[in-house]
Amino acid sequence: MTHHRRTVLGGLAAGSAAFAAPMVMAQGVPRVVVVGGGAGGATAARYLALESGGAVEVTLIEPSRSYFTCFFSNLYIGGLRDMQSLGHGYGTLAAEYGINVVHDWAVAVDRDARVVALASGASVPYDRLILSPGIDFKNGAVPGWDVTAQDDMPHAYRGGTQAELLKSQILAMPEGGTFAMIAPPDPYRCPPGPYERISMVATTLKAMNPRAKILIVDPKEGFSKQALFEEGWQRHYGGMIERIGPDFGGAAVSVDPAAMRIDIDGIVEDVDVCNVIPAQRAGRVAHEAGLTEGDWAPVNAADMSSRLDPAVHVLGDAAAQGDMPKSAFSANSQARVCASAVLGALTDARVFPAVYANTCWSLIAPDDGVKVGASYEATEEKIARVDGFISELGEDAETRADTYRESLGWYDEITADMFG
Amino acid sequence: MRPISRRTSLALGLGAAAGTAFGEGAATKAEAAIAAFTGGANIAPGDVTLILPEIAENGFTVPIEVAAPGAEAILVLAPANPNPEVATFTFGPLSGAQRASTRIRLAQSQEVIAIARMDGGRYIEARRSVEVTLGGCGAPT
Amino acid sequence: MAENVTPRVRVPATATAGEVVTIKTLISHRMESGERRDEAGRRVPRSIIHRFVARFNGETVIDVAMEPAISTNPFFEFDARVPESGTMTFAWYDDDGSIYEEAREIVVE
Repeated sequence: MTHHRRTVLGGLAAGSAAFAAPMVMAQGVPRVVVVGGGAGGATAARYLALESGGAVEVTLIEPSRSYFTCFFSNLYIGGLRDMQSLGHGYGTLAAEYGINVVHDWAVAVDRDARVVALASGASVPYDRLILSPGIDFKNGAVPGWDVTAQDDMPHAYRGGTQAELLKSQILAMPEGGTFAMIAPPDPYRCPPGPYERISMVATTLKAMNPRAKILIVDPKEGFSKQALFEEGWQRHYGGMIERIGPDFGGAAVSVDPAAMRIDIDGIVEDVDVCNVIPAQRAGRVAHEAGLTEGDWAPVNAADMSSRLDPAVHVLGDAAAQGDMPKSAFSANSQARVCASAVLGALTDARVFPAVYANTCWSLIAPDDGVKVGASYEATEEKIARVDGFISELGEDAETRADTYRESLGWYDEITADMFG
Repeated sequence: MRPISRRTSLALGLGAAAGTAFGEGAATKAEAAIAAFTGGANIAPGDVTLILPEIAENGFTVPIEVAAPGAEAILVLAPANPNPEVATFTFGPLSGAQRASTRIRLAQSQEVIAIARMDGGRYIEARRSVEVTLGGCGAPT
Repeated sequence: MAENVTPRVRVPATATAGEVVTIKTLISHRMESGERRDEAGRRVPRSIIHRFVARFNGETVIDVAMEPAISTNPFFEFDARVPESGTMTFAWYDDDGSIYEEAREIVVE
């Protein structure tokens, strides 16, 4: 890729709000289209552009001009990050890497014609398609709640304004009021995320509203890092947090957003804030493309290619891949493997063996960080866990503070890996 | 329920309750609690079920189940806790089975004791060792 | 502590005469043991629920004397014999004098 072409394409991308005309492609240069500019998609696009040296044409389709990471948004709720620090732009990917960044919604995929249809009416042809659309919420998962209720009962499970809304509601809670969370069933984005959020809500309330109560209504028997969280909640927050599991109706909850009321299998409670994190499925475009079986898109472990179409790869939360949790770290790891495989298929580039890794850090209280992680390998059947690690109960304060600092370093690394 | 004052006389003759893993004060407190429950009667091993995890990661919340068919009451003790008494379950006429489950705090690894009072004033017991990874009785933060 | 305390019970709505049914109860309460110290090193005074009673049509099912070793948000599971239709009542007694009560009907079919 020449510097000249990067500049031209960068300039084109910068002015591409109404990107409507089919692009004029250099003859014979394979076209890779990436849908979704999060941890999976942005990483894949960047590696493809970086490693191909111009041998492939990379287009990234992402509706947001500023991407606010969902990961670390709990720290914003806990008062440890400002929202601005979670926002990232695509300017470097366009200007420095020559990626065609298209700010639009991908609404459909014609897999026979190998074309992605955009909400604006434009269409983008591809030789290889990489879908990294994240999650969607399942309709009717929590009776009484749908996306039209998200102003009253926010999900805050995508980055940005929902987290701001949730935090403003927490700050406006009456003294001694009740914060409720409707936790999601497995599988969902970021397994420890709801419980880190509870920790950060408790941090905020402990300082401002110590008599407030936090109620978790949970359809699951257990959850990620449960012993670490429960021990930490006792230690930092006394009895502020109560969790209602399925044995007390946690799987039979409905909500009334207008009345700010929840019904836990017949017991009705008035709440002041209600964070509804519904059951999840692959982002809509994966379903529209006909690449899902059930809620998620099955993929081959070796290269993240769809089991239903070898010309399409699915990354991150949307993929059914095996043992990896749905996390930004996982998506980033999968994106690197996928980018190498796609380059190898389209050019004569060397393909690296598929090895994957994940770590999920969680903050239980300021400077009290814990983590869980594992390495993975590709088998015929799935991405299979090889071995892992988890923080221990009773670690000293310095170890926990180190773990937190490690997570701050990771945030800087992954966002650099995504956005350049 | 017959109210039992568990802080009455320190009864004697219960050396069996005093392990070596905990201090004299704790042993004495546990003995006193047992004496208050049994009135000093002999305690024999018997048909008492005491279910606890062998290893309790989080001492703040350890699941426990006790059962003794036909029992009037069951006393649960954690002798190495700051206060060894945990709970006394007294079963009424409409008890369906002399069984109960709850969640308890254990400050450290120890042998938990369940003593059942049977008809006719017989006392039987079961003991179970639990390894506690992280104690749950209120260490300073 | 009398505020923000929510008792929850799981009781079958129906039973056959003489059936033994399993009951679960959960109540939100910090169960401050009296052994914990706050961040300033001061001992936090004891404040617990010290007794729980379940009755059916006035007859005792179970009566529990509770000590500070019962975990936060006390949970109990136990069995009741249901001779006829009636009301299962539950009462939790707080150190501060509060009594939290809950009731459930069971219909014998």
